[in-house]
Amino acid sequence: MDDLVLRIALVVLAISVPAWALLSVVVVAGRLRYERRHRDPIERPLRAREAERLVRRVAGQPRTEWGRWRRVTALQRLERAHHPAVPRLLRRVLHDPDPKIAAAAIRTLGDVGDDWAIDLLLDALRDGEGSRSRIAAELERLVPAPGPKLVALLRDNNSTVRFWGATLLRPYPDTADATLIELTWDSDPNVRAAAVETLGTRHGSNVETALSARLDDSEWFVRVHAARAVGHVVGVEAAPSLTRLLSDQRWWVRTAAKDALRGMGADAVPSLLATLTHEDLFARNGAAEVLQDVGFVDFLALDNPRSPLLERIYEAGGERFRQAAETRATSADEPAEGVRAA
Amino acid sequence: MIETFLGVTVLVCLGYLLLTNLSYVALVVVAFVENGVRRHEEASQDFDVLGESRFTIPVSVVVAAYNEETAIVSTVESLLDLDYPEFEVIAVNDGSSDGTLARLVEAFELEPYEVFARHVFPTENVRAIYRGRTHPNLVVVDKENGGKSDALNAGLNVARFRYVCGVDADTVFDRQALLKGMRRVVEDPARIVGVTSHLTIAENPERVMSAPAGRRPIDRRPFMAYQHLDYLRAFFNNRLAWSRLGFMLCAVGAFQIWRRDVLEEVGGYARTFTCEDIELTFRVHEKFLREGRDYEIHCLPDNVGTTEGPDTVRKLVSQRERWQRVINETVWHYRRMWFRKRYGSVGLIGAPFYLLTEVLAPVFEVLAIVTLGVAVVVGVFDPAVFVVMLVAIAFLTGALTACAILLDDLQSRTYRVRDLARMLVLAPLDLVLYRPVIVWARLLGSWRFLRGDKGWHKFERNVRAPA
Repeated sequence: MDDLVLRIALVVLAISVPAWALLSVVVVAGRLRYERRHRDPIERPLRAREAERLVRRVAGQPRTEWGRWRRVTALQRLERAHHPAVPRLLRRVLHDPDPKIAAAAIRTLGDVGDDWAIDLLLDALRDGEGSRSRIAAELERLVPAPGPKLVALLRDNNSTVRFWGATLLRPYPDTADATLIELTWDSDPNVRAAAVETLGTRHGSNVETALSARLDDSEWFVRVHAARAVGHVVGVEAAPSLTRLLSDQRWWVRTAAKDALRGMGADAVPSLLATLTHEDLFARNGAAEVLQDVGFVDFLALDNPRSPLLERIYEAGGERFRQAAETRATSADEPAEGVRAA
Repeated sequence: MIETFLGVTVLVCLGYLLLTNLSYVALVVVAFVENGVRRHEEASQDFDVLGESRFTIPVSVVVAAYNEETAIVSTVESLLDLDYPEFEVIAVNDGSSDGTLARLVEAFELEPYEVFARHVFPTENVRAIYRGRTHPNLVVVDKENGGKSDALNAGLNVARFRYVCGVDADTVFDRQALLKGMRRVVEDPARIVGVTSHLTIAENPERVMSAPAGRRPIDRRPFMAYQHLDYLRAFFNNRLAWSRLGFMLCAVGAFQIWRRDVLEEVGGYARTFTCEDIELTFRVHEKFLREGRDYEIHCLPDNVGTTEGPDTVRKLVSQRERWQRVINETVWHYRRMWFRKRYGSVGLIGAPFYLLTEVLAPVFEVLAIVTLGVAVVVGVFDPAVFVVMLVAIAFLTGALTACAILLDDLQSRTYRVRDLARMLVLAPLDLVLYRPVIVWARLLGSWRFLRGDKGWHKFERNVRAPA
């Protein structure tokens, strides 16, 4: 038995000692080489033969994952060197069935940022080549250049393209308001939601009417976007409509309504007080929560702790709500004047 | 008769040793491929675009804390400092008996506020919810003690976003931790349901993380350095390969990103197991594979943070015996997955691998120690051969550890060269300086598993000097 064990041990030893030693040298030498390169990161110019080799590599169809990444690296190297073949290669790589290759092309197009690159990105968005959210992120970082070209997306037959068109127009105020208002009636709820979200950054009576209409949308996520947008665009006049959403059957809608009312600050207080006697529990405690968050509860707790109104809010909020308010009141200084005015 | 018995036992143990090490070598080869792919993938990512884009998916970060007064403020600060477009931090104080809550209240100027959250997951009573003026995206939930799973479930109830990242309260995170974790998710949110990533270990995580990448120190004490190497082997040699082969067996508790709807589907974190992470990963695998659904759980090679490691042998044993127990509990609980084609690579490779290398390891380790000792004493086995075998195993471990160090350095270039060299020298000595402690901890864990012990046996936190 000794002999067998010894032979096995010696074989293991003969493999593992050199392996350990070699790997140790590779780790230390590789790291030192990396640091030397890192200290002097200037990229040497691309020689003609090397460029040719990189172009061939990008144009090829590697079968292994390793080859695929070599292809991506080659493309990035050519882009950094502003090689004239880059636009042609990017067009080709963008159509690659491999999503990772397409993603690398999208990023490279974002780095280029020229007019032709924007056109390619928009084409890819239309045709669904690569991840559309990735394309959108690149287009957004090129703001304001793509702006006028985005409007055409709103009329596309494909609802996904209309969705991205409406979403991407957000950083361009006063662009295509009328079309966006039309899209709030789109048959696809995702498009309606995107149009509503973008209109939430605009102003005007038409915008207000369009947004308010979507508070009753049949899809809950459209109501979510509508609640936030209305709070921002319409302001305090929308408070009664938003308090109505506090009893929505969807938690996300109730949360959006609370956020919108919270954003109005003390101006939302009258509408919220009217909701304290609502038959729905969610509406009552939602109203109490917003009254707490805008500082009204703290104001009453300091200004008039025996106020019947405060008692009504406590009833709507429950015992833990009351305890939290009383704890805060013990450490507060003076009631906020802004809340008193409201 | 005894000689034959000893001889056969020694050969069985040797066979086990060779089999496990061959499987480790095979996994290392796969890990190199996975690491190379992810490295190239990362090089083609633009984290600045991802970090600023409003199309990046928002995340709720949930940190469960029980008696973490020494670490909690640093952890929450590092989370609030994350470079990510939209996220919230939910710290859950799980009925701590120390000053965890007081530290949080003081550091972040918290006040109690009522939040009417969903009650999707049943939990122990929530006593109060705190918010601060300084950080609107911080929520602190104070609840009665119910264990880590219960605390995480309480955080999930309050969470607002579609993705949830469960983290440990004793970990300091890299600013790009969420970006690094979510970069895979944003590529395919429909299929990628869970992500974990590489974490390192230190006696004082704040001190390590305060140094820039490339200059980060590794603890000088060999005891801490060996734990560091243990983590490297676990993440780089094993988890990367598991991820590549489609059977990621453990999204680690210190950093686990999950799609919220998946957590809701499987019922959240389970309270009936000693720890939550391995069991949850198995549960997700079991459900999705049983239902024939397309999904992926990944482990990424990016260093997302540094967690506090036990600084004494007693604490280390306490931690590792718990890990052994939860592995045993989980592998046994999901025994219906073993060798079943229906459960794909998880059932055919993953669960049997755990069974072989983790559950059965203490049995073979003890058997090997006892029989080899007896065999040498009674003269069945030549002591010189025994020594040669030990040296061979030590260098095999050293070579595997060197692979993990290489994979880590290729990925992140985090540590100083002199520390890397020290690690490489320490690696072969792991077998005699560190492994015995782990063997003892695993044995203890297995014994407690058999006794049905489900206690956490939390180790006392290290005394930390300022960073």
